[in-house]
Amino acid sequence: METDNILASLGESVERLNSAASLFERTVAWLEQRESAASGAVEKMTAAVEGQNESLARESELRLKLEAAEQQIAELKAQSSRAVTARQTLPASTTQLLAKQGISMVDSIQGGALDAALTGLSLEQRIAVKAQLLRAGMLTQ
Amino acid sequence: MRLEAMAITMPEVADHPNRVPFEGVLTVVDEASTRPPSGARGHRVILTRDAARAALPSLLGMAVDYAPKWDGHDARAKCGIITEADVLGSQLQVRGYLFGRDFPEVVQQLRQSEAGHMGMSYELANAHVTDMRADVWTLTRATFTGAAILLRDKAAYRNTSFRLSAGRCRNGSLPREGASTKLAAHSGWRFEKQSFGQIQRRKEAYGDR
Repeated sequence: METDNILASLGESVERLNSAASLFERTVAWLEQRESAASGAVEKMTAAVEGQNESLARESELRLKLEAAEQQIAELKAQSSRAVTARQTLPASTTQLLAKQGISMVDSIQGGALDAALTGLSLEQRIAVKAQLLRAGMLTQ
Repeated sequence: MRLEAMAITMPEVADHPNRVPFEGVLTVVDEASTRPPSGARGHRVILTRDAARAALPSLLGMAVDYAPKWDGHDARAKCGIITEADVLGSQLQVRGYLFGRDFPEVVQQLRQSEAGHMGMSYELANAHVTDMRADVWTLTRATFTGAAILLRDKAAYRNTSFRLSAGRCRNGSLPREGASTKLAAHSGWRFEKQSFGQIQRRKEAYGDR
């Protein structure tokens, strides 16, 4: 009985030692990997600031980015301007019809809400109002 | 102060038309570069004194080059040769010759340049960086493959310099400090003979003043 206990204890110790050894190996491998990642070789280096060619390439890249950004800004400005112009050209008759239905001074209106508001108008009138609002960019889905 | 010196003994030729002596500070040791050198991936670098000292033999006999606008390196435009290299204090000083006959325009431009405007830049190969993740890279090993003469503001190290020497470039022309000079005769450095002349290596230790 006592021998069994000793053997069991011994087995347990061996298992723990194996486990520790395995952990130790993993740690050593990790340390080696870390060391090689930290240090390194540089094939070529010159103690001059970045070369003219590299600067020119960077400058050219930045110029292209700037041109793209400027173009995008111009497009956005044009879109914004078109929307303002369209709102300004909403016909007076349409505005009056909308006012009669209780809709006035709106920047945009949803399709569903408009349908509900225009129930008092004929089909043709509703189509005309919707078309005008769409052209003006005031009607959203 | 500690001094490490090394030189190629060149036979003296009176009034050699193709030898125009120069001297300069190639770099500083144990100090971070003012700006990141080319090839250092945006990191400033420190060349350690030990690395510089160990690399001195690789510097002797290497060429100095120039770019037409004096703004960088052109390793194929070699206009001179380095014959002496010293680590004096924190400076790695070099001396040598420009090929004045072959590059008269280079010599003329350098003579006309304002004092303090010209500097130098090393060219390294096989440099070993202790920790590549560090903000400032520390170079503990390297091989010099040459040097460039350039405008000082184009050099990664602010405190470099270059000037044409008035006198003849000679070996053993390092500044002496009188009685405090002590020659370490058994430095352990090897002596070699090569076809272009004798390479002498000296290791001199200056005691504290």
